[in-house]
Amino acid sequence: MSRSDAPLKLRGGARYGTDLFEDGMLYAALVPAPAASGGVRRLDLRAARGMPGVRAVVGPEEVGQLLPKGGSSDRPVFPRGEIGYRGQPLAVVAADTLAQARAAAAAVVVEIEPKPAVHDVESVFPEWPGAEGPSSPHVVAHVRARRGDLEAAFSAADFVQSDLYRTSGVHQVAIEPHACLARSENGGYRVLTSTQTPFGTREDTAEVLGIPEDRLVVEGTWVGGGFGGKGSSFLEPYAIVLAAATGRPVRLTLTHREEFLLGRTTLPAVFRLESAVKDGEVTARRVRMLLDSGASLPGRDFATGYAIGFLLGPYRLSTFDLEGYAVRTHKPPFGPHRAPLAPQCVFAIDQHVEAIARRSGNDPIGFRRRSAWTEGDTTPMGQTVGPFGLGAALEAAHARAAEWRKGLADGHGIGVACGFWSTGTGAGGEAMLRLTATELVIVEGEREIGSGSIVAGLVALASETLGMAASAIRVEYRDTASAPYDTGVFGSRTLGALGQAVEKAAQALRSDLGSRLKVPPESIRIESTPQELVVGPPGSRTPIASLFTEAERAGGAIVASGRHYGRGGQLDDSLVLEGGFYPYTDFTGSVALAEVEVDRATGAVRPVRIASFLDVGVAIDRALVTAQVEGAVAMGLGTTLTEEMLWGPDGRLANPNLLDYRIPTLGEIPPIEVHLLEGFAGAGPRGAKGVGEPPIIPVPAAIANAVFDAVGARVYELPMTSERVARALKLLEGTGSA
Amino acid sequence: MTDRRVRLDVNGEPRSASGVPDDERLLDTLRARMGLVGTKEGCRTGDCGACTVLVDGRSTLSCLTLTHEVDARRVQTIESMGSDPVGTLVQNAFEAEGAVQCGYCTPGFVMALVGLLNGPGPAPTSAQLLEDLQGNLCRCTGYIAIVRAVERARGARG
Repeated sequence: MSRSDAPLKLRGGARYGTDLFEDGMLYAALVPAPAASGGVRRLDLRAARGMPGVRAVVGPEEVGQLLPKGGSSDRPVFPRGEIGYRGQPLAVVAADTLAQARAAAAAVVVEIEPKPAVHDVESVFPEWPGAEGPSSPHVVAHVRARRGDLEAAFSAADFVQSDLYRTSGVHQVAIEPHACLARSENGGYRVLTSTQTPFGTREDTAEVLGIPEDRLVVEGTWVGGGFGGKGSSFLEPYAIVLAAATGRPVRLTLTHREEFLLGRTTLPAVFRLESAVKDGEVTARRVRMLLDSGASLPGRDFATGYAIGFLLGPYRLSTFDLEGYAVRTHKPPFGPHRAPLAPQCVFAIDQHVEAIARRSGNDPIGFRRRSAWTEGDTTPMGQTVGPFGLGAALEAAHARAAEWRKGLADGHGIGVACGFWSTGTGAGGEAMLRLTATELVIVEGEREIGSGSIVAGLVALASETLGMAASAIRVEYRDTASAPYDTGVFGSRTLGALGQAVEKAAQALRSDLGSRLKVPPESIRIESTPQELVVGPPGSRTPIASLFTEAERAGGAIVASGRHYGRGGQLDDSLVLEGGFYPYTDFTGSVALAEVEVDRATGAVRPVRIASFLDVGVAIDRALVTAQVEGAVAMGLGTTLTEEMLWGPDGRLANPNLLDYRIPTLGEIPPIEVHLLEGFAGAGPRGAKGVGEPPIIPVPAAIANAVFDAVGARVYELPMTSERVARALKLLEGTGSA
Repeated sequence: MTDRRVRLDVNGEPRSASGVPDDERLLDTLRARMGLVGTKEGCRTGDCGACTVLVDGRSTLSCLTLTHEVDARRVQTIESMGSDPVGTLVQNAFEAEGAVQCGYCTPGFVMALVGLLNGPGPAPTSAQLLEDLQGNLCRCTGYIAIVRAVERARGARG
């Protein structure tokens, strides 16, 4: 169960973004917008420039002089004209000490011509915008797809189930705040940064700065938690413009307060679901989503179109109408967070389906089981379903639920929910291996973010392919100028996509060795002796070094490379009326079973135990997969019960700290059972499926269904705080329908 | 504000620093002045526990401790735990139980647990340990493996 990075991290030897100290380094501080909406009337940097220790103060004008083209016109470093959200950086300061930088940032004079802030999507669209779609300037994305005769199905229905759900803004809360260090180098810049996407950060930052990508080198550090929050470009441009202004290395580290204020998180959403039910079956479904995009929504159509697909659920359905709007508000920008929006969508659809099952007199699990996709089915959007273990997971959950049901205590309830996900193998990557006389080196631009997918996952694949001990394999971290390209550590893709590039490189190496030794590649086993690596059949083992060509002897290694650029399936494009919808690369089933205790007096929900049933394809490292499931379930409990960013109408965040924004603590996690279902092959190496994200997806809905089972009240809003549950219980008393 | 000298025993070695402002935190003295970056900078408000060190053997949040407050006292950080018997058994327990993922909360957890286990007399009960560790936040593990590591370390300490 040991992983190679553990000893280093346990000794305090791993250097994260926050640990970057260099001689002559300056500290940076951001100047925040003091209002959420309005134009910048005055930005006076003079007082700040005169403060002790200050080396540079850079605002929009200075950026124009510092960068060759004055930066990007589409995505300026600092806003020109209107500001987008409260706390948006308007200028940045570098000083000898952090205290000096912060004091100078506070001395910058900012005056805003205030305008009313748009603080939530329902204030923009108090009524649903309607089929035509609004021409509102607040709409940043609009997606719609439709199939079949909805009106006929709804008018023939025995009943129509109609529900409205609301979900909250949730933050990734990596314990390590964002941090980077920039310096000028070779006529360009180098930035060391704690990122999930070194290459994506290079591309994105170069775009913001308006410089060629090859003028920027990104070097990853150890990452102290990502969860989607550490990608693309964020702090890097601010540090780089200060490095350009001062000629010194500049480090910028956020405080946790700034982490919350600057966002890049999941933002609130509203889901309306209507299903026509005839003879106990769903005959049509109408689904609508309003997504708060904050100041901006990266990958607008993708974020909207991919998320909304989850609202139909993993069920056969011939007739549907699916429409989503992403709406700009004066909150900080939206950003990805472990399975972006899928737990929220499943919170809605799964409770909705459960309500239909109960109303039509069906067993909730059996009802889902009968209509869930199996391999060979077609999704509503027209994609053929591949191997899918959701049904098997539901069956296993059903059996376990029956055991839990025996002797269930009063006030307790049991709930099941099912979600699905897809391994992010569509995003490509390349790998390079160096086989030296004594070790195999995996040359990586990516960094380990905690899951073990790099330090253990990639190593396991190379180890198995080459028949060599993992202890003789080392990951060598390099910058973007010298490492092979990869898309990033996100989307449950690292092992799935980059792993296949490593596996192909290992296969190429095996073939190469086979032809050098004139033996079949499959017979290659690389063994370690105390002095060196040897290869070949027993009795005639050849030292690796003796196989080197002259050039390889000079370079000290045999080099092999591999690449993986995957594709998703095919949708029926004729169904798309507006915007983009996106196919899945594979189908990962994820079922959660929850037992809760509900305090009827206070509405407090206590999770008693959780079981996760995950369709993993094949588990390449069971211990690490199990650890991902445990961590994802725990994170899901936060989304479900306590985590909520609370913005006021003026765009002010009321709880930008870990006391008022509550993530689960050690005493709040119930026992978590992990059941891994193998045999339904995914798009990853050896049929593996990505596992970092799927286990969080059904957790909120499973808890919600368990709350209903316990007390008969349905909660339509996340998080299910005791206030909201108490209110639902009160409503129940009022109607007397318990 | 006056700038003064501080003298500390850090990981068994006498260390001193001059020009330490009155409001400098022990966290920053250790990391920026002494290069001991194994102590992690998290929230800086005492909520996450990542910056936990030992002061005279007691677990202490270095982000809420002024450096001058601990003048002349004994400070231990994660960097010295390899040569501390309790530190070593805690590190071994974390490694054996897979309790390390991103690793950012890890030094704080290790130091907090060492602080609880290295007192005189019998080890606290598991329930006491887990109660006292609630001030340390982890976002990766769901605490499941950390709880196992705590129990293993407690068993090993005897």
